[in-house]
Amino acid sequence: MINRNLVKALRYRYVLLAVGLILLAGGLVLLPKQEKHKGITSAELLSNAISPERYMSTDEIAHKIVNQDPSILLIDVRDSLNYQKYSLPNALNIPLPKLLDDNSMTFLNQDQYEVVFFSNDNFDADKAWIISNRLGFKNIHVLKGGLNSWFKTIINPTMPEENMPANAFEQYRFRKAASMYFGVVYPESVIQQSTEQKKVPKKVITVKKKKKSTPEGGC
Amino acid sequence: MKELEKTKRISIAAVFSILLVIIALLSYKKPKNLYTITTKTALEMLLDKNIAVNVDILNDTTIVPIDIRSQYDYEKGYIQNAIHMEAAEVLSNENIEILEKIKANNKMAVLYGNNPEGVIAPYAVLIQMGYNNLKILKVENSYHQNQLITKNVDLEKSIIDIPKFIKGSAKNANIKPKSNTHKAPKKVITIKKSKKNKPEGGC
Repeated sequence: MINRNLVKALRYRYVLLAVGLILLAGGLVLLPKQEKHKGITSAELLSNAISPERYMSTDEIAHKIVNQDPSILLIDVRDSLNYQKYSLPNALNIPLPKLLDDNSMTFLNQDQYEVVFFSNDNFDADKAWIISNRLGFKNIHVLKGGLNSWFKTIINPTMPEENMPANAFEQYRFRKAASMYFGVVYPESVIQQSTEQKKVPKKVITVKKKKKSTPEGGC
Repeated sequence: MKELEKTKRISIAAVFSILLVIIALLSYKKPKNLYTITTKTALEMLLDKNIAVNVDILNDTTIVPIDIRSQYDYEKGYIQNAIHMEAAEVLSNENIEILEKIKANNKMAVLYGNNPEGVIAPYAVLIQMGYNNLKILKVENSYHQNQLITKNVDLEKSIIDIPKFIKGSAKNANIKPKSNTHKAPKKVITIKKSKKNKPEGGC
């Protein structure tokens, strides 16, 4: 009697097992959608975002531009109107709303260049950095203080006071030279240049005419 | 008899595989602090200019100020009724509980630090986790005679017209301004002219 019932139940064993597996597979549908959780974890993002490592100083950027460092890719995240008015030399314009466009991705999702975001201060550039960091893009930096700091330190550097350390004067000399590179003209440098130009005597280079060589051989 | 043994083995294998899946499901731990929005939505939210508010908003007593500065700064002085939540610790269980409570009570919280730039990082992380009841206080905090001084600041405002300044400097020096774009010098490739061989011999 027992054997008959058991045999009857065992008849449906494969069906039951198949149903069980299908139900478990259905559980995959309940798993959270990947799209929303794309990128590094929130804890990682917070720890990266709080660290000041992403910032590059205006002096560092000026140094790289002056030396025509080919590894740097400057990205202005302001709107095109502000970009056209003034931007850093050779900077690209990717306005913040277009940050995730396919065209922008080619510049951001790579590891050959050091990308530096900048805006007027670093509020908008930080936003761009946070989104890029969540997506796991490498070598992304932010210009500390943005163009406002660029103006204060590079374009119009303030002269250190007399009681300041020697490296402050050295830094000022570099910044002043950099500001001249970026187009700022100092009256004293113009006077110096003109006086220097007068002093230098013209070099006279005499060019000796080559004598025509007589043809050799022949009859 | 052989067939019966074969079917037994198949059944045992199937039962074991189901058990394995059940154990895996039971031991699965849901990761904490998941994002609830995509990067695209997060960017749209960050583009909203209303994310930063003036200090006047604190006149509304339902607003909860959250101080994200260091413990030391907080103890020196803070905005009235502010909750301390150090920037690096905003995702701790305790702080998440507080944020959940504020959200459940339909209250708005404003994050503030020494300046708005210091607040953008924890703010951006929290909004991506679904805390859309947060704002940034557009203030700069400093101390004067051990008293907290809070003043409004403008964000992303250009302090000066740089091209005008450069042109002005050139005008002062009475010379034409140089453009700020420096083109890379053209590479000149010199090609050596091959010397004509002297005619040798011949009639």
